Amino acid sequence: MTALVRAEWTKLFTTRVWIGLLLGACLMAGGFAALFTGLAGAEENGQPGLPAVGTPQYEEVVFSVAANASVLFLILGIIGMTQEYRHRTATPTFLTTPRRGRVVVGKLLAYAAAAVPFALLVLAVVVAVVLVYAGARGAAPSLDADNLRTLAAAGLVLVVFAVIGVGVGALLRNQVGAIVGALVYLYVAEPIISSIGAIQGAYKWLPGGAVQAITSDFQAPDLLEPWQGGLLLLGYGLLAALLGTFLAVRRDVG
Amino acid sequence: MTSATAGRTRPVRVEVSGLSKTFGTVRAVSDLGFTVEPGSVTGFLGPNGAGKTTTLRMVLGLVSPDAGSATFDGVPYAGLREPVRTVGAVLETAFHPARSGRDHLRVYCRAAGLPVTRADEVLDQVGLTGAGKRRAGGYSLGMRQRLALATALLGDPPVLVLDEPANGLDPEGILWLRGFLRHLAHDEGRTVLVSSHLLSEVEQTADRVVIVGAGRLVRQGSIAELREGASGGSVLARSPEADRLAAVLTEAGISATRSDDGLVTSADTTPADVGARAFAAGIELHELRAEATGLEELYFRLTAGQEQFAAGPTAPGATAATAVTTEGALR
Repeated sequence: MTALVRAEWTKLFTTRVWIGLLLGACLMAGGFAALFTGLAGAEENGQPGLPAVGTPQYEEVVFSVAANASVLFLILGIIGMTQEYRHRTATPTFLTTPRRGRVVVGKLLAYAAAAVPFALLVLAVVVAVVLVYAGARGAAPSLDADNLRTLAAAGLVLVVFAVIGVGVGALLRNQVGAIVGALVYLYVAEPIISSIGAIQGAYKWLPGGAVQAITSDFQAPDLLEPWQGGLLLLGYGLLAALLGTFLAVRRDVG
Repeated sequence: MTSATAGRTRPVRVEVSGLSKTFGTVRAVSDLGFTVEPGSVTGFLGPNGAGKTTTLRMVLGLVSPDAGSATFDGVPYAGLREPVRTVGAVLETAFHPARSGRDHLRVYCRAAGLPVTRADEVLDQVGLTGAGKRRAGGYSLGMRQRLALATALLGDPPVLVLDEPANGLDPEGILWLRGFLRHLAHDEGRTVLVSSHLLSEVEQTADRVVIVGAGRLVRQGSIAELREGASGGSVLARSPEADRLAAVLTEAGISATRSDDGLVTSADTTPADVGARAFAAGIELHELRAEATGLEELYFRLTAGQEQFAAGPTAPGATAATAVTTEGALR
């Protein structure tokens, strides 16, 4: 298994896809952190908008923005799996490892492990932006236990989304289809579900609801506890991986 | 790890029996069985759509057969303890376009637990050392064939399975490939199975052939055995007295038809025979050559009408002549 994980790392780091996605994730998370800090305390039509710099609410929001980059980690995982089919390298890959389940498991482990330093870098960018910008606005947050827990939760979301991406890729195999499908799901389907009263209750059980539970967005209605959200999200990752493995083993490679 | 030039490898026999596969309503392979012996090159011949690629993918465990089995010294591919060190396969000439050939090979070294230095060794073996660090997306089809062959050689396997490896190679590359495959089989004792839809490609390389048509075994045996069963071939003759030559040949029981560039005989004679008859009758000849060898005629007869998209029934001789001419032009 170590050999397979190392082979996946070689695949990952011998093309430049990871650089683009990691830079994108850093820009996205850093950008949101700057935006939230810039707008902190501003009023909207006389109503209080985002919590002001220096409040615990502000710190919770701004340290959890890294989780917004989860879509790029999802795409990283999807590309990691679907490139085997897109570029037809599935043939030599499965010839080298005829027990195909091991290939998928190796990929899951490799991407989970690679996502950890990637996530740490994204978190570091967020922390740097917040400390500098919020500091300039008068109150740099301290990295106390609460804030570290928020950061860790956001980092966990990133890593789990990379794993979900590998599973989704193994399920769908078509790279463009898998990415478009994932984007439509995250940005169209889930917001609709969460906004329709009759089925709103289902939202907390969906991946998006689980993410919100973990990062405990203060505005969200009716969510699971953070630890429950974490388990649920891990469950989705494992489900996608299991289904993906099952199908990869059974389907013909031609 | 022995290098590929270090002598003979352990002999492994490939046995295929009763393989069948249906895709939807299309019977791609039916009850196909044959053996591939160590120390020889076996040509796996058949027209396009005869089920060759599907068969090879079943042999290698990529496509699951509806029935039957394929084994390497009794072990199916999926059960091999060290597949890369037992069987090398060239099925795809597709690679990740952004990854260099060398990195591509290193991926599979890692996955198979081979030292990454094997990547450079096999690049050298197939003559790709200079291009190893370039992105595979910029490779020509011939270079991709060589890289695919290099991938197959990574584990120094006693068995090699190659699907149409000559596609895209230039004439020099084809000559090199023929010599390389013969060397791997005859000098190193490997088992080599190489598919092709062109007899001419396999005839000079293979010791044995397995001929399939419409997913079924048509004939298997050594090239020599096949030659014995083949009659003469068809002959093309050009003469200013073509009509008189045709009459002389018809009298001798050889039918001949006029074509743009001369006469084409039916598939039961040789250039020597036609030349002797022309000489005896005092007919001037401007050109005399084999249009199709006896083996080509036989291959054509065996697989005639078994292509998936066969174009209606025609006289066997005429079909053979036109088809073989096209083939000759490709050579």
